[in-house]
Amino acid sequence: MNAATDTIRFENVSKFYGEVLGVNRITLTLSPGITTLVGPNGSGKTTLMNLMTGLVQPSRGRVSVLGLEPSNATEFFCNVGYCAQFDSFPRGLTGFQFVLDSLMLFGMTEEDAHGLAAEALERVQLDAAAAHRNIAGYSKGMRQKIRLAQAVAHHPRVLVLDEPLNGLDPMARAESLALFQELGRQGMHVVISSHILDEVDRVSDRVVLITGGYLIAQGNIHEVRQEVRDKPMQLLIRCDRPDLLASRMFAVNHCVEARLHSDGRGIFLRTGDVDQFYRLLNKIAIEGAVKIEAVAPFDDNANAIYQYLIGSDGSTA
Amino acid sequence: MSVFQHDYRPYEGPTTALWKRPLVLARYGLAEAWGSKITVGLGVLALLPCVVDLVLMYLADNPVAKMLVVGGSKVLEINERFFLGVMETQCWFALVLAAWIAPRLVSFDLGDNALPILLSHPVSRFGYVLGKFIALTLSLSYVTWIPLLVLFVYQSYASPVPWVMGHLGIAFGMFAGATVWIILLSLIGLAVASWVKWRVIATGAMFAVIFVPAGVGAIASTVLRTKWGMLLNFPVVMSELWQRLVGAPSILPNRVDLPNLAIAAVLIAASLACVAVLNARIRAREVVRG
Repeated sequence: MNAATDTIRFENVSKFYGEVLGVNRITLTLSPGITTLVGPNGSGKTTLMNLMTGLVQPSRGRVSVLGLEPSNATEFFCNVGYCAQFDSFPRGLTGFQFVLDSLMLFGMTEEDAHGLAAEALERVQLDAAAAHRNIAGYSKGMRQKIRLAQAVAHHPRVLVLDEPLNGLDPMARAESLALFQELGRQGMHVVISSHILDEVDRVSDRVVLITGGYLIAQGNIHEVRQEVRDKPMQLLIRCDRPDLLASRMFAVNHCVEARLHSDGRGIFLRTGDVDQFYRLLNKIAIEGAVKIEAVAPFDDNANAIYQYLIGSDGSTA
Repeated sequence: MSVFQHDYRPYEGPTTALWKRPLVLARYGLAEAWGSKITVGLGVLALLPCVVDLVLMYLADNPVAKMLVVGGSKVLEINERFFLGVMETQCWFALVLAAWIAPRLVSFDLGDNALPILLSHPVSRFGYVLGKFIALTLSLSYVTWIPLLVLFVYQSYASPVPWVMGHLGIAFGMFAGATVWIILLSLIGLAVASWVKWRVIATGAMFAVIFVPAGVGAIASTVLRTKWGMLLNFPVVMSELWQRLVGAPSILPNRVDLPNLAIAAVLIAASLACVAVLNARIRAREVVRG
């Protein structure tokens, strides 16, 4: 398997809806695993997803998914599973019929479709009794599950999920995230857009930050955080003598803030130079004056990166 | 960071031919259309005239019954004119049914934003429209050419004199005329439903599309003293077409006598306009971006 047939590629892609900009000059390569699209409303996340699911064609540039282009509809669509953000279904169907008909639209025989539909419903943990009820009577969480079942039922290699955690209770969210993680580990592409950044953050292999139709940053969350050099990085250091550690750290000018943890057994530290910080911390640890128990970055998560790069109002910070 | 095991296996089983996929949507559509009690009620109502026609045919074909009911009169004669009347009745019932069913097939999908889900399958926009078109034409066939041909077959069986060979043209004419009408109605119905998301308004718009141009055409014909305005009048255009296909004298009080070519041209133009509307409206694009 070569890189082209194993990745999702955007090559200088722009999409305009008349005079409205969807996305502009996006060049991006996504490897297998879980990718989270992060951006404010109207930033172009859904356009990016529509482009990779073949629902819209780029105005400029080229999109290829696992080496396939949307013009090769049969093979392309069979490799992509899409869960739209809209709470929308053809009317009058039960959950099972919805998944079954979806599979038959993918060209599965009725016999195979029955087996795959049952498997998908089991995977999203929708019980059989509920699956045979009309979707119109489903709760929001059940509707989200049935959409997810429809997206994974035909065993796609790329799963595109637009706000898949909306409406799910904490338990269902945890189950869904576990499913995404399992699929990602199996080597599937899982592309998620979500506003619940804290939870998605835990399972993502990489983030793609987008705002106003422009790509702001992409890559592993920790790498992206380290690239944001103008925002001091926040770390939590667990140790036996936080006061001593704080005084040592303040002696160097890259440390801009130190705050004692409420339990008195650690400090939050903000540093403008992570490399220098780790060198100094190693030195302090070797000296033995302070016993370091744990060091953890406190703001290299999608939420913090979002705040730093895009800002709370959605404009680029 | 995930550890990629690469043990995920996409589906590799057999798949059906591409041309069969729209049939899944047609099945959806039929279930959607006939899941409504009003559709079933309209369907039953549309068959009542056929029951009346069947009784009339029985009376006409049974010398004793005919003598008792109408005496020696020729009122009950089963001929081209009789079948033209039956056909016109059924075809106008088809308009009512199309106005009710078509919005259920498309407006709901548009209103619910279900198109992105459906079109993220290996089904093209053409395939989607074809599926809905099949569902609508099958539904309309049930009240048009199917009962018409059943009546024709009954007459062939019940006629006391050899009848069928001399009247095969009626069967062909009814089938062709009804087919042209249900294709046109289906295209208009789907186009209107794709344009108007609200079902009730779409139903009203369907009647407006048929009858408003008819009024405009009639005014234009009167003011300009020309028959060409009648080309906008679908009831007149279709009546002329059916009458010629069945081979019956016109049942319209004032015959317009439109040329065949003009009738064909107006029907093709209307169909192409509907296809253009469908092409513009049936899109997977989601309006809300986020």
